Amino acid sequence: MREVHLKILQYITAIGIFFFVGVHLLVSHFSSGDPESWTSVVSRATSSGWFALYIFILVFGFYHTLNGLRTIILEFSIPQRAIKAVDWTLMIGGLAVFGYAIYIPIKAF
Amino acid sequence: MENVTYRVQRYDPDKDQKPHIQEFVIPFRHGMTVLDGLIYIKENVDNTLSFRSSCRMGICGSCGMLINNLPMLACHTPIEELKKDTITVKPLPNFPIVKDLVADLSTLFSKHKSIKPYIIPQDTAEAEKPTAEFVQAQGQLEEFVQFAYCVKCGLCMAACPTVATDKHFLGPQPLAQSYRYSADRRDSGAKERFKVTDTPHGIWLCHLAGACSEACPKGVDPALAMQLLKRAMISDSLHLRKKPVPPSVAPTPAEKKPRIAVPEFTIKQPGTKS
Repeated sequence: MREVHLKILQYITAIGIFFFVGVHLLVSHFSSGDPESWTSVVSRATSSGWFALYIFILVFGFYHTLNGLRTIILEFSIPQRAIKAVDWTLMIGGLAVFGYAIYIPIKAF
Repeated sequence: MENVTYRVQRYDPDKDQKPHIQEFVIPFRHGMTVLDGLIYIKENVDNTLSFRSSCRMGICGSCGMLINNLPMLACHTPIEELKKDTITVKPLPNFPIVKDLVADLSTLFSKHKSIKPYIIPQDTAEAEKPTAEFVQAQGQLEEFVQFAYCVKCGLCMAACPTVATDKHFLGPQPLAQSYRYSADRRDSGAKERFKVTDTPHGIWLCHLAGACSEACPKGVDPALAMQLLKRAMISDSLHLRKKPVPPSVAPTPAEKKPRIAVPEFTIKQPGTKS
């Protein structure tokens, strides 16, 4: 994948995070009623719409974080041959943590 | 102000372990530039002081140095504008030091060369044996002319925080020049340049600190050029970039002006009879 594609995805995920986290904050923290009660949390966890939203937050958040971390690492004058090692480490590490993170909404759903 | 104090960083890699500061007090005169003071020191106080200069009028870009911790051209910086009677002069950061105030700019030139800083024409036959001038409208010229004023002084590279941390980063000067040539309607080499700039140490490491544009003595605004380059590369990758229209050559005039007749020799040529 070319660097420009990684950057385009970085911009898209930034907009996505802004939107999805905005929805999450509005509903979970600023809406009327009792969004933090047990029944409200359970009803959201079992709703397919909310499940999709949480998955999107995780996917977008993971990509944005890991690509941002990669950019920071590259600025330490990483030589060309070491960049692949950085990419693979971040990808495998990221997928492992993502797998663990996605387990909770899947189990709740 | 009668005198001005120069605090000059001295470093001779053959003799010194590390750079040190040497002070010179020299007479001040109205209109004096920082370079004038350095020339005075070299001619009258210490002829071992090394610095680079040539045109003395901000055209050649040779005398870039760190003046009171800001990258500037010494010939372009009047002492009165600094509003201080003590001036600290050091070589440009982000470059190795050759001696005293002379920085080794070879990394800048090699990076500049890597982005192919020349017009890559689509019609190579016409470019090699031109039949007429390439047409360029005023508006087309204005799209990039600001970026063509670059004198390769290296001040933008010295000011850039990313160049300071990543020695592989291409830097503002080559990236701005990459845009300058790619935006030129006579050029068809944008794709070739994108291969060089779209790398892990390429354009995407620019975080728009804007220090390059602050430092540029010619008003080139490399930060703007880099943002325009990013936009061009994203548009190109999404196939949204307008296909550049190949430049046309100026039409041959319908009626050629008669050539001016060569005047007769007024001095006798050897071997001719009078």
